[in-house]
Amino acid sequence: MTAVATGRHRRGMSRQTRELWVLLLPALVPVLVFSVGPLLYGIGLAFTDAQGGRNRVTGFSGLDNFARLFTDSMFWQSMQVGLIWAVSVTVLQFLAGLGLALLLNERLALRGVARVLALVPWAMPPVVIGLMWRLVYHPDAGIVNSTLGTDINWLADFSWALPAVVLMGVWSGMPQTTVVLLAGLQNVPKELYEAGAIDGAGTWNRFRDITLPQLRPVIVAITSLNFVWNFNQFSLVYVLTQGGPGGRTRLPMLFAYEEAFQCGFFGYAASLGVTIMIVVLGLLGVYLWRQLREAS
Amino acid sequence: MRRISQYAALLLYLVFLAFPLIWMLSTSLKTPQEMASLNPAWIPREPTLANYADAFGEQDLVGAGLRSLIVAVASSFLTVTVALPAAYALARYRGVLKRIALGWVLVSQVFPFILIIIPLFMVMRELDLVNSLTGLVAVHVTFTLPFALWMLQGYVRSVPRELEEAAAVDGAGRMRAIAAVVAPLLAPGVVATLLFSFISSWNEFLFALVVLKDPDVMTLPLTLVRFTGPEGVARLGPLAAASLAATIPSLIFFAIIQRRLRSGLMAGAVKG
Amino acid sequence: MGKKLALAAVAIAVLATGCGGGGTGKSSDGPVKLDFLSLAWQKESVEANKAIVEEWNKANPEIQVTYVQGSWDNVNDQLVTSFEGGDVPDVFHNDSPALAGFASKGYLLDLKDKLPASLRDDIPQAAWDTVTFDDGSGNEGVFGVPFLQESQVIIANKKLLDEAGVRIPTPAEPWTWNEFGEASKKLTKDGTYGVAWPMKSPVNKVLNLALNFGGTFFETSGGKTAVKVGPEEKAVLQRIHDQLHKDKTADPSALGMGTADPLPGFFAGKYAMLPVGVYLRQQVAEQAPDGFEWVTLPPLKGTTSNQGAVSQTLSVPADSKHQEQAVEFISFFLNGKNQARLAKGDWLLPTSQEAASDPSITSPENGWDVATASAKDLVVAPFLKVNGYDEWKSKVATPVLQEFLANKISLDEAAGKLVEEGNQVLERYQR
Repeated sequence: MTAVATGRHRRGMSRQTRELWVLLLPALVPVLVFSVGPLLYGIGLAFTDAQGGRNRVTGFSGLDNFARLFTDSMFWQSMQVGLIWAVSVTVLQFLAGLGLALLLNERLALRGVARVLALVPWAMPPVVIGLMWRLVYHPDAGIVNSTLGTDINWLADFSWALPAVVLMGVWSGMPQTTVVLLAGLQNVPKELYEAGAIDGAGTWNRFRDITLPQLRPVIVAITSLNFVWNFNQFSLVYVLTQGGPGGRTRLPMLFAYEEAFQCGFFGYAASLGVTIMIVVLGLLGVYLWRQLREAS
Repeated sequence: MRRISQYAALLLYLVFLAFPLIWMLSTSLKTPQEMASLNPAWIPREPTLANYADAFGEQDLVGAGLRSLIVAVASSFLTVTVALPAAYALARYRGVLKRIALGWVLVSQVFPFILIIIPLFMVMRELDLVNSLTGLVAVHVTFTLPFALWMLQGYVRSVPRELEEAAAVDGAGRMRAIAAVVAPLLAPGVVATLLFSFISSWNEFLFALVVLKDPDVMTLPLTLVRFTGPEGVARLGPLAAASLAATIPSLIFFAIIQRRLRSGLMAGAVKG
Repeated sequence: MGKKLALAAVAIAVLATGCGGGGTGKSSDGPVKLDFLSLAWQKESVEANKAIVEEWNKANPEIQVTYVQGSWDNVNDQLVTSFEGGDVPDVFHNDSPALAGFASKGYLLDLKDKLPASLRDDIPQAAWDTVTFDDGSGNEGVFGVPFLQESQVIIANKKLLDEAGVRIPTPAEPWTWNEFGEASKKLTKDGTYGVAWPMKSPVNKVLNLALNFGGTFFETSGGKTAVKVGPEEKAVLQRIHDQLHKDKTADPSALGMGTADPLPGFFAGKYAMLPVGVYLRQQVAEQAPDGFEWVTLPPLKGTTSNQGAVSQTLSVPADSKHQEQAVEFISFFLNGKNQARLAKGDWLLPTSQEAASDPSITSPENGWDVATASAKDLVVAPFLKVNGYDEWKSKVATPVLQEFLANKISLDEAAGKLVEEGNQVLERYQR
């Protein structure tokens, strides 16, 4: 195992470390300038009283923003909405994506065409997705009402707005999930299925005892990624509802946006960002830790 | 019997996922009067090409499309070029740097992008990259890097180390030998990463909005919102026509890539 | 927020690319280049805007203007970023509520003493009031030139009105709210509602209409602004609520609609009248089925005919590098003749009095005579000068009004919330 070193520094860099730096350098430069720098700045803002304004002087304010956040009922509402949204969309995306992936894995006719059509949501610019779904939910001329024969104003209804938005979220995230799951399914060795069939296991048992365990790492990977992306969703929902009605669809990101861009409270919004980050990483950590435990 | 239910289920899925395509096509061919009718029909009663004329004539759709294409291709290739060696480093080496890098990958995915826009914009201004496609590419690359790194390092890890060691036995020209051996095995993964990066860049809106001002550097998503007015009113006809034009290239790309994609994702997703 | 990042400095050193500062490169001996960010989006409006810019460019070779297209939905994010980041357009199109916020943060140039007298005199004081704000340090300034305004009119199905035998009001003799209520009753029958109130964004509309009864919703005393909801403010709310839930002449399911959303139902005869902004005539004209007859009814009258209005504006950022030239351009762009063209393109009302008598916008076709006449009763919207209005609007007023109109809370409850929670919000801006 001499080709791989532990990369520890010794006096005068070891060859491995030098190699390491050479490999990382091209990525390092843009990352430091465009990502790390602004990130640190953004995080730092959370501890100041920064507000929009040409001649404003920004002062350090410690944990004041966080204290205010804690007592802000709209913060709690947005976290609640965010959690309901992220969990529902992620779970539904997974279930629907798994179903579709299983179908696309079968030897059906026109498989290639189906695979491309299944990716339509991914191909559409998010800007268009939001506008299009607004029309779908239109109370008078929308597809939903004309198909179901109902007369509900979905996006303005206090109880229906969030489910309506969740449906759109599932729709737009399905392609990525389906593609990843499909790839995972194709990685399952056929011999396992044949052995199972010989043993007399039925379709459902084969699925439960062979497919799912084999897919586990893939499932964990894509659901955790989806959860993070979903929780942090912004533009898709903003175009559709602007967080309404009455804040029923105000995801954490929308709240942060309102605070920063509409009210100019950059410091407060940054503290919200830091909090979101901690919450998501925390939830993710718990989820991954449990999965890792179960896997071993 | 099972086949029929499978076909039925697949059809339902496809209708659910692909109906917007049909809707866009249908709307783009309708007159304004038809669009305001109470019972929308799928097939326009009086088809017209006026919306396409408007969309392409008023906004420089072709130009914007080309620019989006250039930016997307440049960012995706640059992302992979930059990420591949870095992913290799992260996969094969251990140490503090690796953990910091992974930490950054996580944090940058989780911290709200909208809060970073202003400091990022200021950096761009200092570097005189505002209002240029180069600047946009730089930003797209930076923000696709975390995901690309995550994907690629998974693929690298799935390549057995023994292969590398066999190639590296000589010592001289070590990196080149490793690259020659590993590269073909990574091809599917690279293709998958290219695809993800391309799509993210093609559809990216927020940063392009903030950075690009001159009419001759506008990208496609920016031209789409021009058809919307305040309070949600929109010129649906031209919007649908333009949206269709914005969606089709991605679909073509998918069709070309779709075979390579599956095998590519398989390795990476498991090990990621 | 500071303008330099320590890390940016490090990055610059690392990159060693001898960067230049400021992106708006201009040589001192070439023409001055101005960026004009416009939000025109209707076909005729974009054409009018571009045409006027071209005329300017031809006549002024030493000041060249680049027409930059923006969009209403995103412009404020764009502007905030460019103001904070320092790379600003030289002239930008926006509406006065946004200006109020920008002005108090010091982003805008005070135009008070910089505008030519011809422009100043052509635009009435009521319109100038919509762009006069506090500049954040206690002084009042004029931070934009108002050129387009919107009044709240009623677009009605002429056939249904005639069939019901309802009197068609004229600008000289408009309907009172009572008449309006009665008319809706007559028009509600056979599956048709008399009126549809699209109230997805209820706040501005309600506050503007409330001036019909003298309701201002805000009062300032001793330098502090507080929310007030008394009988004058409640009047309009009560009447709309009654139409929805007592008389049942207004369709409750239309409440959540955006302004243009009721159109399909309107054309199909589901609603007889739509109280909407005057610009919607454009969509009606474009989308109405053949043979559909419609009229524009003048604004309603309560105790007065006054309505609150904001205006669309052109402004110059304080950080613009070519302030004089920007003002010159604005003075040309918004002269009487051009304002008439812009108003026609956007189906709105010009502030310029010279433009208001232009024949192209006073013909009876498409209700232009009624529309343009409605400008005379516009006064400045009372919420314009309130610091923190945006937050009050999105966090308190919108949900409360939505709940009240949906009959989920009573008028007194709504009033209580508007005042209590509202004052909490406003207080933060007055520290």
